[in-house]
Amino acid sequence: MTTTTLILIVASTLLGFLSIPIYSLRFDVQSGHSKCISEDIKSNSMTVGNYHVINPNENSPLPDSHKLSASVTSLYGNSYHSAEKVESGQFAFTATEPGDYMACFWLPEHNPVITATVEFEWRSGVAAKDWGNVAKKGQIDGMELELKKLMDTVNSIEVEMFYLRDREDEMQQLNVTTNSRMFWLGFLSLFVSLSVAGLQFWHLKTFFERKKLL
Amino acid sequence: MATNHHREGSRIGPSLLLLSVLLISSCFSTISDALSVTVNELECVSEYVLYDGDTVSGNFVVVDHDVFWNSDHPGIDFTVTSPDGNNVKTIKGTSGDKFEFKAPRSGMYKFCFHNPSSAPETVSFYIHVGHIPNEHDLAKDEHLDPINVKIAELREALESVTAEQKYLKARDARHRHTNESTRKRVIFYTVGEYALLFAASALQVGYIRRLFSKSVGYNRV
Repeated sequence: MTTTTLILIVASTLLGFLSIPIYSLRFDVQSGHSKCISEDIKSNSMTVGNYHVINPNENSPLPDSHKLSASVTSLYGNSYHSAEKVESGQFAFTATEPGDYMACFWLPEHNPVITATVEFEWRSGVAAKDWGNVAKKGQIDGMELELKKLMDTVNSIEVEMFYLRDREDEMQQLNVTTNSRMFWLGFLSLFVSLSVAGLQFWHLKTFFERKKLL
Repeated sequence: MATNHHREGSRIGPSLLLLSVLLISSCFSTISDALSVTVNELECVSEYVLYDGDTVSGNFVVVDHDVFWNSDHPGIDFTVTSPDGNNVKTIKGTSGDKFEFKAPRSGMYKFCFHNPSSAPETVSFYIHVGHIPNEHDLAKDEHLDPINVKIAELREALESVTAEQKYLKARDARHRHTNESTRKRVIFYTVGEYALLFAASALQVGYIRRLFSKSVGYNRV
């Protein structure tokens, strides 16, 4: 019995690790330069991210020149996370403002120019939900958890469809107003050019009549 | 993790459950959310593919900002390099496209965007690596139900819908930029046109008046 519980404990920690899909992005940052990745997050959705620098030598600790600084800011300039000269870090917050959130990484100046590989993982919305927790709390088993995730995905698809529909509606309004503006501006252009020509003509006529040339 | 087949029925339960959950979690797919990155010349992103034969799908759209392309803009190039160094996929001179390919082997795949022009462009991309357990995985472990295959297929189908939505959203954003720029250009050019017309007419009148002014003299005309 004790070996079973031990296996259970070990496997549940493994489960907590394995059940979160391993999706991460790798990119290079050069010293003195910054690299920014932005993502459009809806309001009131959870977002989770973590990053770490890949150590070029496995045995020795990461040199200071490879330690990067990171920041996560919203479109309006509010900072949600910032770290200086770290090897790794993570952030999690609920996005209150909808829009583009930018995660920037930069390496301090160094001579010679070095390139550090950063592994970055950023999830928001459905993928950011802590499914391990949900499984543990509701005592749900594998298949039901999978189906729950699919249900969440379908819901988010529906929400996204509504958003796309609204955006299309807005665009249609914009195009209709632009079209009607161009229509009226065409007539206005004609009127303006005719009136300018008429004014010019009338002004010169009175001018020459005053000068008694006409 | 060893399962002792001589255990009583009540003790097999939890270990079976764990095994099934662990196996289900191994059919996971890798996702990237629609991220945007600014491409100056060459920008590369790497993604790890866990299994051989996984389907890698995705899309990318160049979201214009202030610089709007003429019809003869070269576009951006997109290449996918496998861990061996071969070019798996190449798309040249485009403002956005979808792509899909079957990864010949597992490893680190590099997705590169190349910008031939000097102006920086922002690219919004989405990459998804999907794995569906096949008969080989099913045969390897008897605890893996055929229903898991169906669930994985369903998940992949939903992911393709989500990917399409992200593509449409990025294209809509680009379209919106173009429309707003068109509107601004219409207003600006029209008002500028009127101002220029007034200015040209005023200059003309001023010049003619000066020609006929007393100080210059009538004879000069």
